[in-house]
Amino acid sequence: MDSKSVTPAVSVTGLSKTFGTTRVLRDVALEIVPGEIHALVGENGSGKSTVVKILSGFHLPDDGSTVLIDGTELAFGSSAASSAAGLRFVHQDLGLVLDLSTVDNLALGNGYRTGFGQRIRWREEIRGAKQALDQLGYTVDITRPVAELTPSERTAVAIARAVAGGAGAKCLVLDEPTVNLPAAETQRLFDLLRRLRDTGVAIVFISHHFDEIFELADRVTVLRDGQWVATEPIGALTHDGLVELMLGRPLDIEHSGEATHEMGEVVLDLNGVSGASARRVDLEVHAGEVVGVAGITGSGREAVARMVAGGLDFRGELTLLGKRLSPNRPDLAFRSGLASVPADRRTNAVLPGQSIRENLTISRVSPYVIKGFLRRSRETSDVMTLLQMFDVRPRKPEADIGALSGGNQQKCMIARALRLNPRVLVLDEPTQGVDVGAQAAIHALILEAAAAGTAVLVCSSVSEELAEICDRVVVMSGGTSTKVLHRPLNPDQITAATLAVREERAK
Amino acid sequence: MTSSLRTEPDQATPDEEKSRSGWRGLPTLGVERFSGLYLMALLVLIYSFWIPDTFLTSTTIRSIASDQAIIAILALALIVPLAAGAFDLSVAAQLGFSVALIAWLQGHGWNAVLSVVVTVLTGAAIGAVNGMIVTRLHVSSFIATLGMSSILLAGAFWITNGRTIVSGFSAQFLEAGRKQPFGIPLPVFYLLGVALILWYVLEYTPIGRYFYASGANPVASRLAGLQVDRLIFQSLVISGGLAALAGVILTAKLGVASPDVGSPYLLPAFSAAFLGSTQIRPGRVNVLGTLVAVYLLAIGVKGLELGGSPPYVDDLFNGVALITAVALAARTSRRT
Repeated sequence: MDSKSVTPAVSVTGLSKTFGTTRVLRDVALEIVPGEIHALVGENGSGKSTVVKILSGFHLPDDGSTVLIDGTELAFGSSAASSAAGLRFVHQDLGLVLDLSTVDNLALGNGYRTGFGQRIRWREEIRGAKQALDQLGYTVDITRPVAELTPSERTAVAIARAVAGGAGAKCLVLDEPTVNLPAAETQRLFDLLRRLRDTGVAIVFISHHFDEIFELADRVTVLRDGQWVATEPIGALTHDGLVELMLGRPLDIEHSGEATHEMGEVVLDLNGVSGASARRVDLEVHAGEVVGVAGITGSGREAVARMVAGGLDFRGELTLLGKRLSPNRPDLAFRSGLASVPADRRTNAVLPGQSIRENLTISRVSPYVIKGFLRRSRETSDVMTLLQMFDVRPRKPEADIGALSGGNQQKCMIARALRLNPRVLVLDEPTQGVDVGAQAAIHALILEAAAAGTAVLVCSSVSEELAEICDRVVVMSGGTSTKVLHRPLNPDQITAATLAVREERAK
Repeated sequence: MTSSLRTEPDQATPDEEKSRSGWRGLPTLGVERFSGLYLMALLVLIYSFWIPDTFLTSTTIRSIASDQAIIAILALALIVPLAAGAFDLSVAAQLGFSVALIAWLQGHGWNAVLSVVVTVLTGAAIGAVNGMIVTRLHVSSFIATLGMSSILLAGAFWITNGRTIVSGFSAQFLEAGRKQPFGIPLPVFYLLGVALILWYVLEYTPIGRYFYASGANPVASRLAGLQVDRLIFQSLVISGGLAALAGVILTAKLGVASPDVGSPYLLPAFSAAFLGSTQIRPGRVNVLGTLVAVYLLAIGVKGLELGGSPPYVDDLFNGVALITAVALAARTSRRT
């Protein structure tokens, strides 16, 4: 893999990008040669996705940035130009229409072959589709809806579509292609990628799974805080070495202490609970304790809070205050003393078009019913108290919830849950899309609730957040809880643990 | 149900934009919230000068009030599921079916009170079937109630053998539809009763609050501990019962039962509910707004009729008013 003897498929120099006053990319250089699989690694916010979006023509870079595709300069800001130059992209969600067949999905990207009167030449179309997938080593029924295919077959269809169109692909960029794949399917996909590499296509592979990177990649480029840090052949790196490059400091994971203070009784108990991406999760939360759940996307982390809070079906034994919880019944969970703040506020929490007052009290309005009438005055004064306690601004109970900033909305959602004086509080990504000031305020509120005896379960993808507020962090990997970290916690240690090699997948 | 009225739901607006420019529903001048009332006053004024002899008579006022009572009750039946986030397209067919049912019951010698109770309960039961189809079989309410409409229409023809029934009603029953205490027809009182109860339920009880929440965001409501499926079920039971009641009152008022009487009521009822959602409490369907909408449309149409316009102007006026009002509401909510 001597990069000097061949023209690079992609050569990026001096790539910078500024949003407003924030510089998210600074002088990034990147060189990808034909016939290599090049992994792009970095923490959330390191600039990986910005690089991809510039390459795909979605963002315009700052002046002075240059991208050469096979020696020719790329015109920025146009997805058509990117595609014509030979850059292809497969995004995490694949962008397939599930109800349509493979043939149709391939044609949607690249146009149907048509004859006289725009008649679609189905026979040619079908032959072409079969050929495209054969080349990738997949034989599927290309006339069936892609919804009936396995996840890796669907990924193959998306790759076939990306590779097929136009004058031929020079570089294929895959953004977290394995997130939704089971282990066996992942291997099939890797075989496909190797086969594609051997035909001379350059492949950029973005993944948070370090074990996959070590298995698949030829070279690795590390980005940190929008800057290029290193490009190394994979053989020159160790697992810990790569984590250190990514974090920018030596790993500090020596001390993993024991539980520091006395806990109350167990109030929330998960015993072999499975659902969605989580498998046989065991977890206990004591009264007054803040337990974090960490893990990369697809590790099962994102399923835990949803199972406990009732938004997701599960199998297994989930006990709340000594009572078995039925799956999919958030109402029963709430009645037994649980309150939750789901992730993705806009979809799962906010009642749009309703006032702050209505949003805050919706979980339980009955306390304001006096002699058969809902007393708004009493409700409003309660809401005012909450707005002050949680420092929500503006303090206008009748204002539309949409008038609040994201951070204030999130404080409202937490106020909605804590207003119920829950015995168990479940938080899923509690500070997602929230500015730093509001983050600190939300953390303080969580700790306050725990100090008052509430058991708190926090699922978060932000290691700093977990390290700051948790007594204990359960690390999810490959769908199950693999490790428990105790106080004192530090973010690096949590991040490193989430990136540890998954044994099940290695087998 | 807000999102069904406007093409641009609130979620689409970035938080930051909204936080700077205040919020919707602020009672400053109230022009928007009460525009229907102002418009109503304006129309009355115009017609009073234009056709004072015919428009400004007690007969006209009485006929507007009582003719619209049925549509108003039907529209009120509709707003319950609309608030909870479900469509009930079967309200008009429910009305038609209950007309046929009560005529049959009376014709078979049932006493007035019992036949009314049975008819209304049957309506509620049909609403419960709607609710089961929507919440258990996971059929969209739009389709479930559309299908139910067709079934009920068939049922009405089956009960009446396709004939219009003009006899067999007890005197007591007909009196309940025709009497005019203080010169006001009884159906107007029924409407006021229904409106009052529904207003209380939607505005002053927890379940009303829960209806609106589940309509605004069913996923969020469920995750906040509400039983959204049960709320939708209940809302369809209520709309079924109320639609049947509207049918009963219509029968008592007319003294005639024809099996296909329901269908023409569907569009006016929906128009009134949607137009009403731009009034009094803009952005959500509500009792007072619906009443304003019903009578605003009725006054507008009546004046034109008396002024000599051809009968199709009725439908034309309704359609134009509905589209204009909802479009204006969508525009103001975009500006704020």
